[in-house]
Amino acid sequence: MSKVTAFAGVDVGSLGTKTVIMAEGEIIGSAIIRTGINTEENGWNGLNAALENAGLTRDDLAYVVATGYGRISAPYANKTVTEITCHAKGAHYIHPQTKTIIDMGGQDCKAIRLDDDGNVADFAMNDKCAAGTGRFLEVMANVFKVSLDELGPLSLSATEVLPVSSTCTVFAESETVSLLARGEKPENIIVGIHHAISKRVGGMFSRVGVQNDVFFSGGVAKNVGMRKALEEALQIKIVEPRKDPQLAGAIGAAVIAESAWKRGR
Amino acid sequence: MTLQSVELIRKRVAERPAELAEARTNGQKVVGWQGYNLPEELIYALGLIPVRIGAGGDDRLVEIGARYISTKNCVYVRETVGLFAENKDPIVQNTDFLAFDATCLQTYRTAEILEYYFNKEVVVLGVPRNFYWPEAQVYFTKEVEHFTGRLEELSGARLDHDKLAETIELYNRIRGAIVEIYEYQAERERLISWEETYDIIHAGYVLDRKEYLRMLEGTLRELQEAQGRPAPEEEDEARIFISGSVIPPGDKKLIHIINAVGGRIVGDDLWSGLIPYLDVHIGENTVEGVALAYINRTPHGALPYLELETDKRIKRLKELVKNYKAHGVIYHTLRYCDPYSFKAKETKDVLAAEGIPLLEIHTEYSGSDYEAIRTRIEAFVEMLKIRNFETLRN
Repeated sequence: MSKVTAFAGVDVGSLGTKTVIMAEGEIIGSAIIRTGINTEENGWNGLNAALENAGLTRDDLAYVVATGYGRISAPYANKTVTEITCHAKGAHYIHPQTKTIIDMGGQDCKAIRLDDDGNVADFAMNDKCAAGTGRFLEVMANVFKVSLDELGPLSLSATEVLPVSSTCTVFAESETVSLLARGEKPENIIVGIHHAISKRVGGMFSRVGVQNDVFFSGGVAKNVGMRKALEEALQIKIVEPRKDPQLAGAIGAAVIAESAWKRGR
Repeated sequence: MTLQSVELIRKRVAERPAELAEARTNGQKVVGWQGYNLPEELIYALGLIPVRIGAGGDDRLVEIGARYISTKNCVYVRETVGLFAENKDPIVQNTDFLAFDATCLQTYRTAEILEYYFNKEVVVLGVPRNFYWPEAQVYFTKEVEHFTGRLEELSGARLDHDKLAETIELYNRIRGAIVEIYEYQAERERLISWEETYDIIHAGYVLDRKEYLRMLEGTLRELQEAQGRPAPEEEDEARIFISGSVIPPGDKKLIHIINAVGGRIVGDDLWSGLIPYLDVHIGENTVEGVALAYINRTPHGALPYLELETDKRIKRLKELVKNYKAHGVIYHTLRYCDPYSFKAKETKDVLAAEGIPLLEIHTEYSGSDYEAIRTRIEAFVEMLKIRNFETLRN
């Protein structure tokens, strides 16, 4: 069997470490693991898991690009690239007509506008607070005693959208507790939370200028309730991704790895 | 490699507090000033020693300042108050009285706070909100005359026409030399960096002005002599222009991050940077002549855009970006610095129409947002480099 020339993209996020292995422009392996406290170790573990999934070893890797907040501790990588650039390349790979990305990750939220080649034309990120992030939704899921994955489906059964005024994690948590104490249905509160986040994202979204097609990436993109709330609040249609949207950053990193290797840098 | 003249300037800055203390012992008065439209020439011409005060980047001083003013005031003014509250800064310790202008209302209010809590004698120069009306020019001229009168009272000296003419000549040469050094720092062959040039500007806040001019001329001579010599290859694919809120001495966060991620700063229009030295055309060597020259400069961001298409500030920004061949603008806004924060989106839109990308960085002096800002700036630098690569390829 001839040796595979493979490329890896490792996206070490605050909640999840996503890794993608590519060869000849195709994804041949991937892994998503929970991020632990040792950033460097997360990257190695993610890389090993994805290589195992692809049936390859480290010797098969020609070039590795690390991204995400953990990119600053990535001795396994040949190059580091920001998650903004990687999500752009990843979304473009998954859906080449993408012009705008909403990326909701574990600790931040971004709106990215792309040019025709999948390069970043403009972007905006949330400020210091955690509103609109996976961490925020994780806190909310704890209040409702459900898993993060259950939040989205639960919200689809809502009969009304309860206004949740605060998008500060701490204040929103206390507001939610008050609504529950008042006897409001959890699904109506959850959908209210999704709408509150959407409105907040809306400001950021309009600052970069919305153009179709809109791609939703990051771990929160798996939340069907969040996706529906964004479409309603922002009056947009989000494309159906043909790949796991949580992998978009890692895919972009792998695409950049292959391109950098070909250019010899 | 740092120029010898730049190293000398830094050395002289370190030695300056002791000189100020000695000058005061010999009866001279030191005026600490802050503002944008305050004509420093008048302080100097009266035989007073002007020092421009204010610092940034020290969260500890911001906390001390917040004991006297609201945490909703901008960090720069909180740190300024902190400097006086702590009273350990050797320049602040050596000020006899203070002069502030009312360009930025937070700065102006700071003057009141310093007077109230720390018993500082403060002279305030009023500034009109609209510079373009003839009435505003009359008002500002009267304010500058009044300001000069107050300085005369406090110093016991009278403004002398010949001394003012000599001072204007000195300051014009300082301004000219700074603008010339800025041209060098932006060249492809980097004999002096923007960071060094920025330090030189801040050195001028405290050094004796005649000595400062000699040092600027020394730097220019050294630069002229170094031209043509082989210089190390420097990153030049992401040339960045900085605009927005003040970046005073001590505030290095943004500058460090830009350098760390492979960006190269090639210019600014900061009021703590180049902009005060541009477009000062003093017609007559009189107080009125100085006042009119100051009011006709590029206005500070705290003053409103009156007509977007003809606005002098945005026009100057576009000219400078082009002159220094910048690929993009980083628009720095300090938390609660309203004048610049309000204008960020507007400035971005105007520049976008010219094909110039702008990244707004909203920050303060704590280090908690360091990594988040690093990601934004790194992505912006990546974007500029990809654009340049694509342009070259096509």
